Amino acid sequence: MTTTTDRPAASPASSRGPFLTFLGRPSSGVVMLLVFYLLLLLVFSLISPFFMTVRNMMAIGSNIAFIGLMAAAGTPLIIAGGLDLSVAAIAGLVGVLIAVLHGDYGWNIWLAAVAAIALGAFVGAVNGLFTTRLRLNPLIVTLGMMSIVSGAALILTGGLTKPLMVPGFNWIGQGRIADIPFPPILMIVVFIALSILLRRTRFGRFVYAVGGNPEASRLIGLPVERVQMALYILSGISGAVAGLMLAAMLGAAAPAAASPHLLTVIAAIILGGTSLYGGRGSVWGTLLAVLILGTLNNGLTLNNVSSFWQDVTKGVVLMLAVSLDQIRTRALGE
Amino acid sequence: MRGIGKSFGGVAVLSDVELAVAPGEVMALLGSNGAGKSTLVKILTGVYTRDAGTVKVDGEPVVFADPRAAVAAGVRLLPQEISVMGDMTVAENISLADLPTRAGPGFPMVDDRAMNKQSRALLDQLGFASIDVNALVKRLSVAEQRIVEIARALAGQARVLVMDEPTAALTEQEAKLIFRIIQSLKEQQVAVIYISHYLNEVFEISDRIAVLRDGRNAGLFTTAAASRGEVLAAMLGRVADDLYDFAGGGNAGEEVLTTSGLSVPGKLDTIDMAVRSGEIVGVFGLIGSGIETLGRAVYGALGPATRGTILMTGTAYRPESAGRGKARGIGFVAADRKQEGIIGDLTVRENMVAPFQDRYVQGLFVSRSAETEQAKRWIDLLGIRTRGPEQTMRTLSGGNQQKVCVSRWLVDSVKLLILEEPTRGVDVGARREIYMELRALADRGLAVLVLSSDVEEVAGISDRSLVLDRGRIVGRFDKGALPAELMAATTNDPAFNAA
Repeated sequence: MTTTTDRPAASPASSRGPFLTFLGRPSSGVVMLLVFYLLLLLVFSLISPFFMTVRNMMAIGSNIAFIGLMAAAGTPLIIAGGLDLSVAAIAGLVGVLIAVLHGDYGWNIWLAAVAAIALGAFVGAVNGLFTTRLRLNPLIVTLGMMSIVSGAALILTGGLTKPLMVPGFNWIGQGRIADIPFPPILMIVVFIALSILLRRTRFGRFVYAVGGNPEASRLIGLPVERVQMALYILSGISGAVAGLMLAAMLGAAAPAAASPHLLTVIAAIILGGTSLYGGRGSVWGTLLAVLILGTLNNGLTLNNVSSFWQDVTKGVVLMLAVSLDQIRTRALGE
Repeated sequence: MRGIGKSFGGVAVLSDVELAVAPGEVMALLGSNGAGKSTLVKILTGVYTRDAGTVKVDGEPVVFADPRAAVAAGVRLLPQEISVMGDMTVAENISLADLPTRAGPGFPMVDDRAMNKQSRALLDQLGFASIDVNALVKRLSVAEQRIVEIARALAGQARVLVMDEPTAALTEQEAKLIFRIIQSLKEQQVAVIYISHYLNEVFEISDRIAVLRDGRNAGLFTTAAASRGEVLAAMLGRVADDLYDFAGGGNAGEEVLTTSGLSVPGKLDTIDMAVRSGEIVGVFGLIGSGIETLGRAVYGALGPATRGTILMTGTAYRPESAGRGKARGIGFVAADRKQEGIIGDLTVRENMVAPFQDRYVQGLFVSRSAETEQAKRWIDLLGIRTRGPEQTMRTLSGGNQQKVCVSRWLVDSVKLLILEEPTRGVDVGARREIYMELRALADRGLAVLVLSSDVEEVAGISDRSLVLDRGRIVGRFDKGALPAELMAATTNDPAFNAA
């Protein structure tokens, strides 16, 4: 039978509790994150006298910058229905590639950096090809790619850490503009640029449409695959830039330096209110989530909480956030 | 079932409906789209709860809270979509709900031999000794999968079996198998409720025919004594005249779309048709007839699978992708609004401008004010009830969502608008508005192609109509054709014309 009976009309928002009504609003996520962030700042500054200092805030900024870069580019990708688990592995590979090309083969450091970024873009393009053309699940494709890329990084250096001390290059990780460290400045610039891209451009509209309903987008003639492809490449590039920045900051390239932060990157995107099912999210939510996770990390360290407990905390925060996302989805009347 | 009533959101879908089936009887349930058949069987099988009335099984009043409760009481629904586990064997599928076990090392284990034997006996009993109980179900034909499904229901001691269009995806030859199994179900004193659009099927296998119309009983016939004419009359009634009673039309211009030999392997067979500017061409067909495919084939959504010649405004056009169709001036509104039409999380404005986003770009950036202006114009033009362009799309009613899906294509470059099931899931009031809008758009020079399984809709709004059956055009009608005429063309049944 072909009839579909009318679904009952959606009940007006007022019949739900005020909390659910609030949750149902698209902007509620970012507001709640901001409140949570401010609370976190308050609590830590009450506990530790060293927390609310310019020096410590700048340290947090430097520490979260490379995670923020990857999370920034990962956000539109997840909004568009994609996922990139290989991004942190790319960061590791890029660091050692620069160190090897410059140190072992005598390449100019900037030429090596450009080559490394091109590699990031290439890996992203391969991810994109497999997921859009072959319609493979991005979870599986990028999980495989993560393994390939981190393996390659270990092969390149035999598993060893390579020193990478080139003053001009190290400035990327250690330099300051107007006394503010460069990494967080770059991160903020990237967030602003991506926000404009998502909110103001045609491409940005396509990102939300493609993630919100890929079938409908295809049927109204939007370039679904091209949009996703571009975002995978962007994610690969972000991994490369993050790896470059991390190596410059540390003055050394370790093949596995960035991989442990993958969870933080994904956690930040989800915590920031981006739906894993696509179609919803904002880079500002991601930025707040990156700040929250970085601050949590920093504050717990200052209070001598072991890093093992920090992992537990991160996991709890992530699961709470995902549950909240689910509640929100229902409040939106799914 | 007696005095059954059900309403959704204040709209009565069923009122005071009665249905009784005796053991060993096949009761056909007929009714056009929206008549309430679905709702009635969903109440019977525990998917919905009723607002009023009583349901009795073997004389005992029952209340089914969920489908499990109905199954436990021996009432089973075989949905239109076959639901079998393709990667399990025939025997596993049949016995799944009640697997025989034997003592294992400390815990019970599935007794494969008993399971196979049990399934074998059941299939033999139904007269299908040819089906191997060890075969994977995905390797069986669609008809055989149906049989496995029926056997599974019997294994669960079904007393009442509701079959929803069991032959929809089958060839005539395969449909004969289903009839055979229904015969043996009768012999085993199972009560069968048989829902079908195919009149000749109904006359072939049913004992009695119950007709629903607009959520009420509209007739009960003893098949042997009934004529097809009176059954059709009860089903369709008078055309709901006010629904389709509006002025306009009759000013067809140049041919916008012309197809010759349009084919999609296995779906469409040499379709020749034309749609002219200023006219609404309706294509009626039952599920599986090709109406799901025709619009997509023309638009390009099927990709390069489409064969044959298509002309758009006189020049050849290859429908290779949706983007290509759009570029050549075709707009497309898909049947499944939720899955393929709207982008629920976005606003009305964003949904409206999405196909032609380029038009609102100034320099690098999208001009939101230009979008809002256009969205407001469309909201006014189509009378869309919304709090404004910024309302989230998913919170609109079905009819208003549909209007948004139409409005998307109202730009001057679009010459042909294709709509699949334009009023599916739309309430009656909004239906009339959508019909009037389509007429108004045609009067302004648009060519409109409507594909629908609602025979009254096609008869009511079309300047010309076509009937599709199993991928071929089996009837062509001019304005004013009666629903019964279209329906008769698809049943492809000479006896009807005599009746």
